[in-house]
Amino acid sequence: MIHVENLRKEFKKTVKDPGLKGSLKSLFKPKSEKVVAVDNISFKVAEGEILGFIGPNGAGKSTVIKMLTGILTPTSGSCTINGKNPTQNRKSYVKEIGVVFGQRTQLWWDLPLRETYGVLKEIYEVPEDSYKKRMAFLNEVLELDDFISSPVRTLSLGQRMRADIAASLLHSPKVLFLDEPTIGLDVVVKDNIRKAIEHINEQEKTTVILTTHDLADIEQLSKRMVMIDKGTKVFDGSIAGLKSKYGQIRELYFETDVKNAAEVLGYAEHFSLSSDDLSVEPEGNSVKVRFNSSIVPVSDMLSYTLNKINVSDINVKGADIEEIIRRLYEQGVD
Amino acid sequence: MKRKLKIYTPFVNAGIQEVATYRVNWIFFMLGNAIACLVSYFIWAAVYSSGTKESMNGFTMPQMIVYIVLMFLTNTIIASDGAYVVGEEIREGSIIMRLIKPVSYNATFLFQELGNKLSTEIAIAVPMIITVEVIRTVLSGVLQFNAFNLLLYILSCALAYLVNFYFNICFGFIAFVIKYLWGANMMKNVVIGFLSGTVIPLSFLPDALEKVFLFLPFASLNYTPVMIYMEKYSGAQLWYYIGLQAFWMLFFFGLSKLLWKASVKRLSVQGG
Repeated sequence: MIHVENLRKEFKKTVKDPGLKGSLKSLFKPKSEKVVAVDNISFKVAEGEILGFIGPNGAGKSTVIKMLTGILTPTSGSCTINGKNPTQNRKSYVKEIGVVFGQRTQLWWDLPLRETYGVLKEIYEVPEDSYKKRMAFLNEVLELDDFISSPVRTLSLGQRMRADIAASLLHSPKVLFLDEPTIGLDVVVKDNIRKAIEHINEQEKTTVILTTHDLADIEQLSKRMVMIDKGTKVFDGSIAGLKSKYGQIRELYFETDVKNAAEVLGYAEHFSLSSDDLSVEPEGNSVKVRFNSSIVPVSDMLSYTLNKINVSDINVKGADIEEIIRRLYEQGVD
Repeated sequence: MKRKLKIYTPFVNAGIQEVATYRVNWIFFMLGNAIACLVSYFIWAAVYSSGTKESMNGFTMPQMIVYIVLMFLTNTIIASDGAYVVGEEIREGSIIMRLIKPVSYNATFLFQELGNKLSTEIAIAVPMIITVEVIRTVLSGVLQFNAFNLLLYILSCALAYLVNFYFNICFGFIAFVIKYLWGANMMKNVVIGFLSGTVIPLSFLPDALEKVFLFLPFASLNYTPVMIYMEKYSGAQLWYYIGLQAFWMLFFFGLSKLLWKASVKRLSVQGG
């Protein structure tokens, strides 16, 4: 369905020295440097699959989406969606896709929401009867009824996002691109939107590509995720795969009345662990220890701790997906 | 063709409704223009009263009044926001929302703006034309209204609007290079004000300069329709100027297509 091969995008960026002097200098003699936003990314997506894109801010997620939707032209490499090249013959390509940019809206700002759908109906040449059916379906899934007559500028962010997603689905696209569809939304609305996406994916076998910062989006929606950092792909696989690959980190938490428990225990020297594999955070009476369980088994860690000091409460937490991602973002992937 | 029109009619409707939302804005805009018109009148009144000749460069004072009012009307009819809107969309990156739709970028603007115009300009055009006729009749003592001339004027205005629209779209694409268009836009407005005869009729300029300016696309904006309405052009001359308008329209239409193709390749979306 979607083939992406060695996709690369470079931007020219004007650099300015700091301060007024720098501004004047760049006014007369602008300097520019090349920024590689996306570097050699390849992946494939099957029909009906939901693929989650994650990565820190500025990793190049949105740039990839913009190339896949035909907005940006790749510097090199190719992407084929549904057998079509997005940058060639834009008009016929975009008829088959739906796009939502969470930070922007495709709705008509000053008009009642209903009017936007009317406009889209004509643009995408949706016949009257299928339009009615479609609206009924979207209404049911995304609950648009309450605000369909209000001007778009008066909608709340959650309502607007639902309306935007409905707008992108009106013409029953084969591929749906969602760029941060849950940005800035509260827990309940996020959940509704995820359910709606899931529902549509199941019902219509729509292929979905979404980017997000919220791991719960990915955990709930997609079996597969692609992580990119600094423009390159660093991970491609299931969440379970990510956990087994990088999820050897355990978190040991205990409470004790021993003062300076962290120094008394001296984990680093005892197990000879580097700072990559160990972090100790004492906090009042409690201590939080993160360690790599592939080097030090959990049982060793526990028995050592319990033998060394008097502990009033103890627990060990398994690999938290958030924690893995945090480590990957901070340290990068080898 | 019919299919195409059907796709773009909702843009016209949307344009009409947009104006309805920002009615007060429009009223202030028109008020501003009317004041500029009044200032123009007083300046010319001073010029004519200090001169000794009754007619200057082919304009008597009553004709000058008609000229000012017609300029005001024509300006409003052919006004186009294209450069500003395109520039803003490029600056803040919302241009991508149009790119993901299976429609022509320029055409969506055109039809939206036509919607804007339909709802407002017709409302002012009729009373303004009547005003012009009343002024002319009172000042000269004879009714000069000519229906055929009015039709020619409307045709010329339509061409002038399209020249203006496509010129502005081309101008707006400069934002792909310089990112923010406000300054360039201000400059453009002042230069066009002069070159199109809005400030001074082109016949007041030295002959050589007038010839050059008359050929430039800017005379095709306001000057040609106003001259036609005032019956300053006739016969072959009349059709020459209308043809010139058509030429400039096609020129900027083609240029906008070329520029669009070239610039969309180098688009770098600003902001997210």
